[in-house]
Amino acid sequence: MAEVSPLGNPPLPPPRLERGIVGWVRANLFATRFSGALTVASTLVFGAAAIFGINWMLFNADWSVIATLGGQMVIGQYNTEAACPGQNCFWRPQASLLMVTGILGMAWGVAGGGLPKRIGIGVAVVLAAFALLPYSFERMGMDVRLLLAANIPALGIGWAVARYTPLGTSPRIALSAVVVFAVTLLLLRGIPGIPGLQPVSVLNWGGLTLNLLLAVGGIAFSFPIGIALALGRRSHLPVVKLLCVVFIEVFRGVPLITLLFMSQVLVPLAFPENFPQNSLFRAAIIITLFSSAYMAENIRGGLQALHPGQAEAARALGLPSWQTTLLISLPQAIRNVIPAIVGQFIALFKDTSLVYIIGMLDVVEISRAFIQGNPEYLVSTKELFLFLGLVFWVFTYGMSYVSRRVEENMGVGRR
Amino acid sequence: MEAQETKNGAEDIIICRDVHKWYGSFHALRGITTTIGRAQVVVVFGPSGSGKSTFIRTINRLEEHQRGQIIVDGIELTNDVRNIDAIRRDVGMVFQSFNLFPHLTVMDNITLAPMKVRKMPRDEARQIALDLLERVGITEQSDKYPPQLSGGQQQRVAIARALAMQPNIMLFDEPTSALDPEMIKEVLEVMKELASSGMTMVVVSHEMGFAREVADRMMMFDQGSIVEDGSPEQIFEDPQNDRTKLFLSQIL
Repeated sequence: MAEVSPLGNPPLPPPRLERGIVGWVRANLFATRFSGALTVASTLVFGAAAIFGINWMLFNADWSVIATLGGQMVIGQYNTEAACPGQNCFWRPQASLLMVTGILGMAWGVAGGGLPKRIGIGVAVVLAAFALLPYSFERMGMDVRLLLAANIPALGIGWAVARYTPLGTSPRIALSAVVVFAVTLLLLRGIPGIPGLQPVSVLNWGGLTLNLLLAVGGIAFSFPIGIALALGRRSHLPVVKLLCVVFIEVFRGVPLITLLFMSQVLVPLAFPENFPQNSLFRAAIIITLFSSAYMAENIRGGLQALHPGQAEAARALGLPSWQTTLLISLPQAIRNVIPAIVGQFIALFKDTSLVYIIGMLDVVEISRAFIQGNPEYLVSTKELFLFLGLVFWVFTYGMSYVSRRVEENMGVGRR
Repeated sequence: MEAQETKNGAEDIIICRDVHKWYGSFHALRGITTTIGRAQVVVVFGPSGSGKSTFIRTINRLEEHQRGQIIVDGIELTNDVRNIDAIRRDVGMVFQSFNLFPHLTVMDNITLAPMKVRKMPRDEARQIALDLLERVGITEQSDKYPPQLSGGQQQRVAIARALAMQPNIMLFDEPTSALDPEMIKEVLEVMKELASSGMTMVVVSHEMGFAREVADRMMMFDQGSIVEDGSPEQIFEDPQNDRTKLFLSQIL
C-alpha cells in the first residue's frame, strides 16, 4: 500500500515511458505519413552518400600526400635549409609546444581535475603519439620524437609546479601563458649572435603554427580591445562614442582580405620609418582589429540585454561607475554572449588562412603550393583538402566543446 | 502629529525644496517640498504614474531632479560626483525586482559594496553579512546564487545587502509588489523590525496594514504632487483631499 498523506491525495510517481525502441521510432520517425516519407527519403540519400564516401575513403583514396607533406603542414618552410641554414631549427617550435603543455598542466593542477585535466591529458597524449609516426629515422629524427614524447612529462611538471609552488593560482597561470606566448615568438624569431638561436625570417614561418599564432594573438588582443570598444560605443562622451562607432563600422564594413591587402601599404604609415615590422606583424594587427570590431558588437549586445536594475542596484550601493561596469555589468554581459564570442573566435581562427593573400604560407596555402609544385600529386588534391578540413574542424570543435563546458560551469541558463 | 514635531526640526535628514523633474515633456514631479526627520518611517502611496517612485529615486539620485534642492544628511545633491557617491553610501535602496546580482553568491552580493566602497577587510565584511542574514531570517543560504532562492528570500537578501553598507536612510521602492502573498509577510516582518530599530525609512508601498502599524507618516502622491501628508490615523480616519478618499476607497 502506498503511503497516504493526511490530505488524502498520495503523491504519485511520474508516468513511466513505456515506449521502447518501436515506440520511439514510431513517435520520432513515423509520426505522420509525411514524416515517414521524409525518414525513408533522407535515409536513402544519406545512406548512399555514406556508402560511397566510406568506400572512396577506404579503397580509392590515396592518403600518401599527407605523409609526404608531413611536418611542412605544421611549420611550413621554417626548418628548411634556406630559412635556417646549417642547423636544425625544428626544436624551437617543439620547445614552445612543451611550454604550452606545461601551462595546460598548471591549469590542471589548479583546477584539480575536470575540464582542464581532460584537455591537458588529451593534448599531451595526442602530441606524444606523433612521436610514433611510422616515418624513417632519416625523415623524422630521434630528437624530434623525443621532444614530442616529452609533452607528457611537461604536463606533469606543469601540474607539479602549480601544486607545489606559488605559481599555482589562476592569475599567475594567465600571466605565465602571456610569458609563454612572448617567449614562443622570441624563440621562433631567434636572437642574433646566440648559437643555436640564429634569426629566422618571419616570411618563413608557416603551416599550422602560423595559423595558431595568429589566432591566439588575435583572440588574446581582440577580446580586451573589443570590450573597450563596446564600452566606448555606449559612452556618454560624444567624441569617444563617435571614434568607437567609426572604428567598428569601418573594420566591419570592409572585407578582411581587402584589409590585409591594404595593411601592407597602410600599416607602415602608422609607424616610424625605421620601426622593425614585417608582414606577419601587419597581418596580426589587421586580424586583431578586424576581430575586435565584431567582438565589440557581441559584447555590446550582451550589455544591452542586461536589466537596467542591475547597474542601478550597484550604483545605489555606492559603487562608482567603473566598478559597476567591471564587477556587475561586464561579467554578466560576457557570460550571456559566450556563444557569440566563441563563434567569433572560431571565425577568426578560420580567417587566419587568408594571410596567403600577402604571401604567407599558412597550412592551407602550403598545401596548395605543394600540389602546384608537385603535379604528380594533383590527383590527391581531394584527400589533402579533406584532411585540411578535418584539421580545422578538430580545432574549432575543441573551442566549441570548451565553451560549452565553460557555460555549464558558469551555470548559464540556470542562474 | 506629535511624532512629527519631535522628529522634525534640527533633526531633518531629508530636505526637499520645490523639486521638479521632467521626462521629456512629461512633468513627473511638480514642486515637491517636504522634510523627513531622522528615524521617521514614511509610507508613500498613490496611483501609478503619480511620481512616488520617481520621488524616492531622486533622493539617491538614481533620477536627476531638474529644479529645486534636495539635501540628504547635510549633503546637497548636485552634479558633483563626490557628493552623489557620498550620499549613495549613506542611503540604502531596495527595489521592486530585487536586483540581486545573479552571477554572485548571496554572500558576495552582500560583501561586495562594503569591501569595494568602504574598503572593509574581507573577514569583517563576511561577519557583518552573516549577522545581517540572521537578522533577516536567512541562514545557511549564503553560498547559493540568488535565482535559487524564493522571491521573499531574495528580497530579504536585498535588504541585507543594503544594510551591509550601514546606511542612515533606507528607501524601499514597492518592495513587496513582485511577491506572492505568503512571501509579502516575511519581508514586511523584516521591515517592521528595521523600523523599530530607529532606521529612517521612506517606503513606496500599498501595504496599508503595514502603513497603519509602522508608519509615522503617510504621503499621498497624485500627478507629481503631494496631495496629502499626515499621520496614518488622520489619513485613514479623516482624509482631507477628495483624491485621497477616492484612492483609499479603491484599494482598501
